[in-house]
Formats: sequence, C-alpha cells, structure tokens
Amino acid sequence: MSARAVARLELKRLVVRPFAWTLAAVGLAWLAWQFLLLLDGFLKAQARLAAQPDAPGYTDLVAVPLLAAAAQVLLLVAPLLTMHALAGERRARTLPLLLACGQSPRAIVLGKYLGALPWLAGILLLAAAMPLALAPATHLDWGKFAAALLGVALMTAALAAIGVACSTFASHPALAAAAAFALTLALWAIDAGARAQGLDNGAINYLAMATHVQPLLRGLVGSVDLIYFALVVALALALATRRLAAERTRG
Amino acid sequence: MHGTDHNLLVLDRVGRRLAGREIVQDLRLTLDRGTVLGLLGVNGAGKSTTLAMIAGVLAPSRGAVRIDGRDLAEHPQTARTHVGYLPEQVPLYPELTVAEYLDACARLRGMAAATRRTAVAAALARLDLGAVARRLCGALSLGLRQRVGLAQALLHDPPLLVLDEPGNGLDPVQTASLRVLIRELGRERAVILSTHLLPEVTAVCDRVAILHEGRLRHDAPLGDGSALERTFLAIAAGAVAA
Repeated sequence: MSARAVARLELKRLVVRPFAWTLAAVGLAWLAWQFLLLLDGFLKAQARLAAQPDAPGYTDLVAVPLLAAAAQVLLLVAPLLTMHALAGERRARTLPLLLACGQSPRAIVLGKYLGALPWLAGILLLAAAMPLALAPATHLDWGKFAAALLGVALMTAALAAIGVACSTFASHPALAAAAAFALTLALWAIDAGARAQGLDNGAINYLAMATHVQPLLRGLVGSVDLIYFALVVALALALATRRLAAERTRG
Repeated sequence: MHGTDHNLLVLDRVGRRLAGREIVQDLRLTLDRGTVLGLLGVNGAGKSTTLAMIAGVLAPSRGAVRIDGRDLAEHPQTARTHVGYLPEQVPLYPELTVAEYLDACARLRGMAAATRRTAVAAALARLDLGAVARRLCGALSLGLRQRVGLAQALLHDPPLLVLDEPGNGLDPVQTASLRVLIRELGRERAVILSTHLLPEVTAVCDRVAILHEGRLRHDAPLGDGSALERTFLAIAAGAVAA
C-alpha cells in the first residue's frame, strides 16, 4: 500500500522535529499535574466516600476525569501536530516530490493521517498509563475505563482527520491550525444554543462531538457514537483527497 | 497523433490552463533515449509547467503525455518507475539526513528493501555524496542540495530524466561538473533540461526546443551556438511566428 511510505515519512519527520516532542512534553506535563490534583482530591475525599453506599470510586474521580482532560489537551495538540501535513509540504515546495513518486492524492492524504496518528496515540496512551499505574492498588472499573479510552481515542482520530483536511486547504500551516481548532470547537459545541433551549435530541445535537464523547466517558459504548466518529474521519479525508486531486488538475 | 508508441516520451497536443490563462498550448514533442533535449524559454514561457506535466505532478488540461507508450493520465504509476524529476526548487526535507531522505524517496517509489539499500548506496556514490550522507539536508550548501536532488531523481534508474533549471545558483566549478554528469546520463537515458541559459544548452544538449508564451516555437538539433542565440532572441522578442 503506497500510503504506508507516506505515513512512514510523516512519522519519521515528526520524530526528528523538536516541535512534536515539545507538544507532547507540555501536554503530558499538564496531564501529570492534573493527575496529581485529581488523586489528591480523591485521597482527601476517601474517608467521606467510604461511608456512602455506591459512592464514586477511583475510576469516576481520577481515571475518567484524567482521560477527559487528555481529550482537552488533544483538542489543542492535534491541530498543531497536523498543521504541517500538506500546508507545510506546499510551503516547502516538497509536494511535487510526493506526486512525482507516483503517490496518488488519496495515498498522500491517508499517509499523512496515518503518520500523525501514532504520535497522538502515544500521548493518549501515556496519559492513560498514569491512572493505570495505580490500578493494582485500587479498584479500577476496567470496562468503564476502556470505554472512556475508546471515546477519547475516537475523538483524537477525528481531530487528526480534521487537522489534515484543514492543512490540505490552507496555504500556511498556522492558518491550517487555526482553521482546524475553530472547526473542532464549532463541532464540539454546535448544539450549545439548542441545549440552552432545552433541545437535546435533535439533528443538531447529533452533529455535536460532545454528544458522542460524553456517553463513552460514562462507559456507554453505542454504535451511533462509533458511526459518528467514522463518518467525521471519512468525510474529512475524502474532502482532503478531493482538494489535493483538484490542485493537480486545476492548479 | 504525434509520435509513436516506440518513442520513450510523447507529448500529444498537450495544453494546460491555469486561472483562465493558457500556460501551455498544443505542445507536440517526442524524445528517445540517448538524447539530451534543452528546453529553452524566457521566464514564464511554460517550461516548468511542461516539465511538471511530464513528471506527473500536474495533469494536462488537454492532450496526453505518453511515456513508453502509456498515457500518464491512465497509468499514473508510470511516472514512479520511468521518470526522475528534479523541480526548480529542490524538494528536500531539512530535518532528515541525506541518507534518510534518499531512503524515504526510494520507499515512496515503492522499491523493495534490498533494492532500496543498493539504490541509495549507488546514488550516493554516483553523485559523490558519501561524505555528507549523515548530514542534515537543511545544512547543505546550494550545490550539495542540487546534487541530493539529482540523486533522488536517479534513485530508481529511470529512462527519462526531467531537470528543471538544475544549474541555478551553482558556482562555475559545480556547473562544469553538472554538465559532465548530464552528458554522461544522456548517453543511456532521455534527458530534458529546462533552462533560460544558452551556454548550458550548447554545452550539453543534442537537441533544442524553444517555448514562448506556452507554444513550441522551435525544435531542432543543436547547431551553431550563435545561430541558436539569434533564433532564441528573435523568438523571445516575438519576431518568429509559431
């Protein structure tokens, strides 16, 4: 599969870029701080919680909130990490190399996407490792934790696809990052007005990303939510491919 | 139809429109192995657009580019195996070393692991880049960047080499060694060399094509240098009709 060579090149370039490491380091440092705060809160509340029946435990008070914080960090990191995908190639005039090597627009877009995913997945897995490190000493609800992790992973996959798509349309990486961030925020809270009016089951609610992440963070895995993320990824990559193909045909 | 299936490269009434303007019009050209074709033209004549279409980077708006008898639009993979392309601005990744860059280019061309290693080593040796193989592309001088660009174009040993202004920014010594290399490559391959410098053409080319305002105005074997200069200047001044 020719997208593999593009993905490998993209990942290799990320690995040698200080920018990608800085993003990961700052993001993980922030999450580590959040983890300590959540853990401290949990330990302080433990005596009070022990007296309550069905009280929230380590999973609800530390593990899942940390994954929710990771989702917020990735909301910022994904656009910054993917902004160079195509806009950077265009700016550095390296795109002709990929095309002259016989890579189709679809392979280039898919390769760029697959190249960014392992880096984002690495950040998410390291964030997940923090609460997991205490799993042997606590009662972790593995099902709920896995569902929440899946939710954040799917959201990250969608963010990366949106980032690559914006990078395909933008002439400058900074514009691509700004567009991806704005689009993600809009998609996240598109139903805020409807919710304020008490509407929570309309088409606009379905479009909002938060509508599909929240159930997974609560441990509910539904096919509707999985399909939503698959559709966002497919649509973003299809638009990016179309844009790149048009660039080759129309200039 | 212009050219035959026996020609390595056939441009059959190729045209390219961009933002409502005809950049290249009705271009007909053939090329075979063992020929170095100089593509001359003033800035904006359509040379780079023509080369990008031959390399498969841009699609023609009209007509067809055929390489080894196959239409590039129907068989885009032909560019991967048959064409080596050095764009005007060398497409380097500054964060990769020369060896890493060439390895990535070989992977992009779909070369198998064993072939890839041999091809990278051969390209490094041929362009005399062994000493800088571990140096970052971003830290190379202009001359070295051009050589690395040429190495990536030669990696897969293509029968057709497309070079867009390869002498840009080179000093006289580097220019001389580039000319020797192009002549050597032209013995077994078809080479298209785009330039606006007449001395470069007279030094290395067997044939000259002159583009002006997107049209082919002259296509003939290299003759007398001063006659070529007169023809080129007359075409550039618009005195020679198509």
